[in-house]
Amino acid sequence: MKSIFHYKYSKLLIAASSLMLTVQIAQAQTPKLQLNSLDHLSAKASETVDVSIDERLIQTAIKIFSDQDPDEREIKKLVSGLKGIYVRSFEFANEGEYSSVDLQPVLTQLQDPAWSRIVNITSKKEGNVEVYLRMLNDQITGLAVLSAELKELTIVNLVGPVDLEKLTRLEGRLGIPELGIESTKPKTKNEQ
Amino acid sequence: MNEDYLWDKSGEPDPEIQRLEQILGTLRYEEKPLELPEQITPSRSHNHVFLLAIAATLLLALVGAGLWLKARNNQGPQEEYAKAPTSNSTPEPKKEERLADKSTVLDTPSVEKKETEPRRHVARAKIQTKRAWTSEQREEALAAKQQLMLALRLASEKLNEVQRRTVSPVTPAKNQHKVG
Repeated sequence: MKSIFHYKYSKLLIAASSLMLTVQIAQAQTPKLQLNSLDHLSAKASETVDVSIDERLIQTAIKIFSDQDPDEREIKKLVSGLKGIYVRSFEFANEGEYSSVDLQPVLTQLQDPAWSRIVNITSKKEGNVEVYLRMLNDQITGLAVLSAELKELTIVNLVGPVDLEKLTRLEGRLGIPELGIESTKPKTKNEQ
Repeated sequence: MNEDYLWDKSGEPDPEIQRLEQILGTLRYEEKPLELPEQITPSRSHNHVFLLAIAATLLLALVGAGLWLKARNNQGPQEEYAKAPTSNSTPEPKKEERLADKSTVLDTPSVEKKETEPRRHVARAKIQTKRAWTSEQREEALAAKQQLMLALRLASEKLNEVQRRTVSPVTPAKNQHKVG
């Protein structure tokens, strides 16, 4: 009886671990970053912005955009192909209220070879900014911006085919600048 | 003539009065129990009318409520559609307000713009589609739009920062000086 129980238990354990592994692999393959690890920072932050818009909500939102307004039309085109938009932004009252350890789970996800870091700015005075792109057959499937300032931490994650040309065209309207990255193919991790 | 007979039937009665008594006596009240027919079926016509009246009132109330809701829904989307762009200016957390100020171009109500005839038809069709939405769907769409705009503004802010910080080390003045 005991051996049967052990046998069943071990089978259940193997099934559970394989399921967890599958979930982890699936999560690693998607350009959507798991940002839940940052949730605890909201307790320390003086201001928090938490935006999670999945594909269904994006499709719902674009129905309300006007086709007559050129700016809204442009934004509609830009976001219509997206699968999700996720933003976490924390503003702290004092410096040093978060550390690199808090960012580690997100950075680990960005270590995936599918992600390429295209911009890395480090500054002790102004903080660090990193921009990552996720590519699949020369097609951008995800964008991640990590801005770690002294009193502010912001992570922006766009999931889906981000059309940088359209994003560039928004410059001056939504304040989205031309990064000049659409003409140059981003370097892979091996090249770096 | 003795009139006592008229008061308490005492004394000698008048023959004329006696004659009248005989004539009218046939119509005198006779106490006897009520006799009902053995097979009696109570009529229910009054109940039917009463129930019909209640049903008609309820139906009228329902129709009235339906018409009122429809009229209200027809009015709603147009108002909300017009209000939607300005909803960003409602009091919100500081950061969102700060970000909202950066894209005032988007806050122009689109319905106020002059349109050509075909465009007007398209707009009207869109408004009609919006009318078909339930209030929950409209609220969800407006909230999603607001969140979407906030996310895009934040993304743009950060990308602006990237551009500023990557471009700033090389100033045009220095370049001109070197070329000159």
